[in-house]
Amino acid sequence: MSGETLSPPPDVAPAPVQPRRSGSLRGAGPMRRGDAPAGLGFAEVPTTQDGGADTMRPGALRGAARGRNLDGLAHTLFLRLAPVIAVLVLLTQVVIAWVNYGDQIRLSGERAQMMADMTARALAQPGWTTSFGPQLQALGLDPSVRFATLRDASGTVIGRLGEEPRGRSLERIQVSSEIEAGPEAQPAGSLTLVLSAEGLRAHAEKQFVMVLGASAVLILAFALSLRLAVARHVLAPLTRLLTAMGRVERKDWVTVDLAGSRRPSREIAEISAAFNRMVEGLRSGDEARHLLAELERTHARLAEANGLVMESLGYARRIQQAVLPGQAALEGGPLDVAVLWEPLHVVGGDYFWVEEIDGGGTAGLSVLVVADCTGHGVPGAFLTLIVATALDRILHDQGLRRPDAILAALDGVVRARLRQHAGNSDLSDDGLDCGICVVDRAAGTLDFAGAGLALTVLSGDGVARIKGRRHGLGYRLTGREETLSAVTVPLGDDRTFFLMTDGISDQMGGTSRRLLGHRGVAEILERHANQPLAEQVAALDAALAAHRGAEARRDDMTLVAFRPKGD
Amino acid sequence: MDRIQIPATSRSPLVDFDFAAGHLILRGESYPEDAAAFYGPLLHALRGCLEEGGGALTFDVALSYFNSSSAKALMNLFMPLEDAAEEGRAVTIRWHYAEGDDTIAEAGEDFAADFSHARFEMVQETAA
Repeated sequence: MSGETLSPPPDVAPAPVQPRRSGSLRGAGPMRRGDAPAGLGFAEVPTTQDGGADTMRPGALRGAARGRNLDGLAHTLFLRLAPVIAVLVLLTQVVIAWVNYGDQIRLSGERAQMMADMTARALAQPGWTTSFGPQLQALGLDPSVRFATLRDASGTVIGRLGEEPRGRSLERIQVSSEIEAGPEAQPAGSLTLVLSAEGLRAHAEKQFVMVLGASAVLILAFALSLRLAVARHVLAPLTRLLTAMGRVERKDWVTVDLAGSRRPSREIAEISAAFNRMVEGLRSGDEARHLLAELERTHARLAEANGLVMESLGYARRIQQAVLPGQAALEGGPLDVAVLWEPLHVVGGDYFWVEEIDGGGTAGLSVLVVADCTGHGVPGAFLTLIVATALDRILHDQGLRRPDAILAALDGVVRARLRQHAGNSDLSDDGLDCGICVVDRAAGTLDFAGAGLALTVLSGDGVARIKGRRHGLGYRLTGREETLSAVTVPLGDDRTFFLMTDGISDQMGGTSRRLLGHRGVAEILERHANQPLAEQVAALDAALAAHRGAEARRDDMTLVAFRPKGD
Repeated sequence: MDRIQIPATSRSPLVDFDFAAGHLILRGESYPEDAAAFYGPLLHALRGCLEEGGGALTFDVALSYFNSSSAKALMNLFMPLEDAAEEGRAVTIRWHYAEGDDTIAEAGEDFAADFSHARFEMVQETAA
């Protein structure tokens, strides 16, 4: 029995499952002082009743985690096991007492028989029928002897001691002994002795009461030790587990301590270990979620910052486009002009200008300028503004009309603006490549001067390229600059002229993954030579994109195509 | 002078300036957002190396694309080399270009025109 009480885990561990089968465990226990209604016990932990959705409802575990409802378990175990144990103990003891009682009865019977035999032997003397008095009286010394009769051979009572008892035969032991006939004056007879069994019965009753008491003590001891063991190894660990669950529910990642004096039973230890593993998993999942959320916030901030920058760039592009010639200026003149202007990053360092200008003679001149400032994006765009302002002053204030003179003036202005004097080595080393065409329709000529930028001429003979001076405008002087010079070419009737920045020909791509180059551009131009100018330019743009394929563009690109308008 | 080794990125070339061995390499593409910031330290180191003096110097340039800022920076690297060659140092610049890449070949020829003392070799690389 003690083995049972001290090893509750194997027996009691399945008990928490029982409430699911029926409500009997909950209902079985009477209310005790301090008990919550048993219905709030284990079965009330919302695992099955409300369906999975509510399983982790906030606060659902808190009531159960307070622990007092767990008293129901020990209580229920006691109520279930105690009657069984009590009945078993009682039955065992009653059987033992019954056997004991029977033995006592038998022993008393044997003793009574011996006493009767001894008395009968003592009486067996001549003339005993008259002298039996002292022997019979001697029997009365035994307090359990109630009644004795002495009969002769004919069965006639010749002497008696005490009253013949009445009542149940169970409470008395009756024995008899024959008195043998002797040689002379010694007739046969018999002695009947009746003893009381009341003492034995009283003894058995006392034993029964003692057994009852012992059983009660045993059951009490069992209950106490069961309660202690369950409380220590089952209820306390479960309470810790439930408390931890409640905290985990609020995203407080605690684990359960598996050591200590209140060490859980093996099954609960395994559940607790599984719970700890789950908490670790949840914690790392939660951390990952936090990191993801942080990443999303960062991404949102970056997107916002990028949005601001792009918005600002969009505005800058409107300003930069306003500095470039409008559609009317491109279409209104005596030249057919088509333009491709595509900065790499919304705004860029490429600039072009097209203007009909008074040449001082009978007819006007057409000035066409393409400039490629160092850098692209915002820094390039700053430089284009310097160039635009400088060009306006050179053309209108200074009235320069020769392209090489215009380039030289631009060179001076840019170098002055960026303070690129000799000896000022810490400052800017920026500048631009530039090509300028001045078309005199009346004379049928085109003057070209370039600094790092070439003029491409497409005619029936193919594509020709007139390179400019090797060095750009601006930059710190290296002492190796070529002098600027202009060339004059006839305008012709079938000629188309192109001023383009190196972004047009520097297109990385193709199967061999290298730059398209001037030759590649020339081939594309030749393929579309017979198309209207705008379509030629659009076709070139598409062909460049096809050459790039997946490669990104490397630079801003600008192309100004022009030819005399047909009559 | 310490060796300078910088791995290539999508926008900047591989740099291996082994001054002790007298061998400098630039390989890849060059269009950094700020070319001055990328090439400034290289130019500074090159000048330091040339001031120390030493033996023959070979500079392999194998760029498949470079923007105008990088072209300017290359020019700045070439000028002290040409000056050193003028002072008697054996300097060789090997300009590598892919077969059929006129743009790079032409750029090499343009650079070559600036050298009169240093050797400037055009090296055509055939596609593997």
